[in-house]
Amino acid sequence: MKHLAPQRRARARTLLTAGLVTSLALMAGCAKSEDDSGGDKDASRSAESGQVVASPSGGSGPTCGIDAYGGKKLDLKSATVGFSQSEKEANPFRIAETASLKAEAGKRGVKLLTANAQSQFSKQISDVQDLIAKGADLLVIAPLNSDGWEPVLRSAAAKHIPIVTVDRKINATACKDYVSFIGSDFVEQGRRAADRMIEATGGKGEIAILLGAAGNNVTTERTKGFEDRVKEKAPGLKIVFRQTGDFAREKGQSVTENLIQSKPGIKGIYAENDEMGLGAVNALKGAGKKPGDVKIVTIDGTRNAVQGIVDGWIDGVIESNPRFGPLAFQTLNSFTQGQKVAQDIVIQDSAYTKDNAKADLGKAY
Amino acid sequence: MTTGTGEATMGTDTAATLTDGEPLGASRSERLSALAQQHGALVTLVVAMLVASLSFDTFLTGDNLENMALSSAFLAVVALGMTFVIITGGIDLSVGSLFALGGVLAAWGSRYGTVVALLLPLAVCGLIGLVNGLLVARSGLAPFIVTLAAMLGARGLLLALTDEGSRTYLVAKDSFFAKLGQDSLLGVGVPVWITLALFVLGAVVLRRTRFGQYVYAVGGNEDAAALMGAPVARTKVSVYALSGLCAGLAGALNAAWLVSGVTILGSGMELEAISAVVIGGCLLTGGFGYLSGTLVGVALLKVIQNVINQIGSLDSAYQQVVSGAFLAVVVVAQTWLGRRQRVL
Repeated sequence: MKHLAPQRRARARTLLTAGLVTSLALMAGCAKSEDDSGGDKDASRSAESGQVVASPSGGSGPTCGIDAYGGKKLDLKSATVGFSQSEKEANPFRIAETASLKAEAGKRGVKLLTANAQSQFSKQISDVQDLIAKGADLLVIAPLNSDGWEPVLRSAAAKHIPIVTVDRKINATACKDYVSFIGSDFVEQGRRAADRMIEATGGKGEIAILLGAAGNNVTTERTKGFEDRVKEKAPGLKIVFRQTGDFAREKGQSVTENLIQSKPGIKGIYAENDEMGLGAVNALKGAGKKPGDVKIVTIDGTRNAVQGIVDGWIDGVIESNPRFGPLAFQTLNSFTQGQKVAQDIVIQDSAYTKDNAKADLGKAY
Repeated sequence: MTTGTGEATMGTDTAATLTDGEPLGASRSERLSALAQQHGALVTLVVAMLVASLSFDTFLTGDNLENMALSSAFLAVVALGMTFVIITGGIDLSVGSLFALGGVLAAWGSRYGTVVALLLPLAVCGLIGLVNGLLVARSGLAPFIVTLAAMLGARGLLLALTDEGSRTYLVAKDSFFAKLGQDSLLGVGVPVWITLALFVLGAVVLRRTRFGQYVYAVGGNEDAAALMGAPVARTKVSVYALSGLCAGLAGALNAAWLVSGVTILGSGMELEAISAVVIGGCLLTGGFGYLSGTLVGVALLKVIQNVINQIGSLDSAYQQVVSGAFLAVVVVAQTWLGRRQRVL
């Protein structure tokens, strides 16, 4: 009789384990359902709204050639390219980015190996090492974190594998540890978001920042650009709340819920990406606010956020173009043919406001 | 691998043996299922590696194997501590956060030399583990909740140390501490050797010492263990402290490997460690399990991940479906085997 209780407890624990494991399995499925419209359309659209380089390569900035980096020339067509994606393909930026690289590889007939770190940095490190072991001749990396790349850089250097990083930087030496970085000017994005916010709020009142995930240059630069511009142009605008929403919608929503509780008089919210901004919209709706009560400015340019402008909830969206495929392969192609490529390839981003949101909704991803 | 059998006998549920009235391993099918439970993971690992090496000629290469061994060493050390906790019938959800915290502390401490870089994370993470253990053992709180609180608290501490995670402390590349993570001995990375040494040590403690016997006894049947005079509370406190120490050490070694205290590590690592331990044949109900199994479990997780990358074109969503489904199958098979053993 006495051992019955432990046995029942045992069964409960077994069930718990099974539940834990099943939820691991289901995580992917749930994440995927987030966006059902983006994937297939992106490939076809990537040509029309592909990236434009803001600073032409070979221009003013430092360049990198194959002799300086080490390694040998090769024909991109016969090469294997490894692409390591950082975050789960649950947010439209990542979906569009991966789709763009796959589409461009298909167009050029290049063999592309892909891996996804599912937002786990340890996994990204071993992903890239797996890609190297699998025989990737060239690497395109979307880094989850800017530091901690030493093991990968050492393996790549030993085999003279050129690395191009997209959308975030690696803290290492360009043209020694990696070839080029292709991405937006995040400080400028922050500044433009600040301009938008100043215009929307009239430059007075209390505003909040939903910070991105910690530990990468995107968050720090988008924050710096925004704060500096606000300080310089609108001293009347006070940033009274800064908290991380990890670039995720749910987190953006819960942080905003706290924000509404603690600072009911908030006039504006700067979300460092669209997903957090959309979370903020959900929180404001839940709190019974009306569109326009709190001005929201976000960065990325996803379809849902631009739709948010049309609906009146979001005031402005600064674009951050994720379609890295054409530019990344073009850079690798030039580099492997022996031409010099720019170490920092900065792309030009547009913006959405209520003046162009409806017309340009098709350009959003 | 005869060590497994010895531990299995130790760990069998006392109730089942008593009601049955006959020694374990009497019936053929029972012996088979016991064997499958102990070595199921090993068999799966061998089969998976065979299939992988036949399918991909880039699988069984020195580079690939070395990479796999090195990058799984850190999870293995975390899973080592977790094995002790799970054998006592507990669970430790704080290890992922402690792993990250250990890395940050080690990277910060490395400026004061290797000793500080190693001792600081061990002290802090060991202390948090100790508090976990005291709360679980002395106030009878559920390990799930206690260690969940520690998981959140340790993550918060990490964020406080790093300006909300935006500051990454770097390890000097030419320091002795960095060499601990970078160098290799006989073609195998130093962290792998350290991990293997710790597992041998751990297995000796678990198999050959009185403390090891207490660990099994507490997990098998706490009341019986207490009646037999085993120091139940002290054993529990020790395993949680040990788990904290392991997580801190793994974090420190990882920081030496990455030459930086990366702040975003470790989320979900507790689940990985638990999966590895369970795949390795430990029962979450406690009282049964062994360290060699855990090592196999870690290796199996790594091989699955590597094979998915070897395929190279699998949609990222399906990567998780595949690894999740694989885990589910293993766990279901194990609970089924475990139940058979009890019923027979």
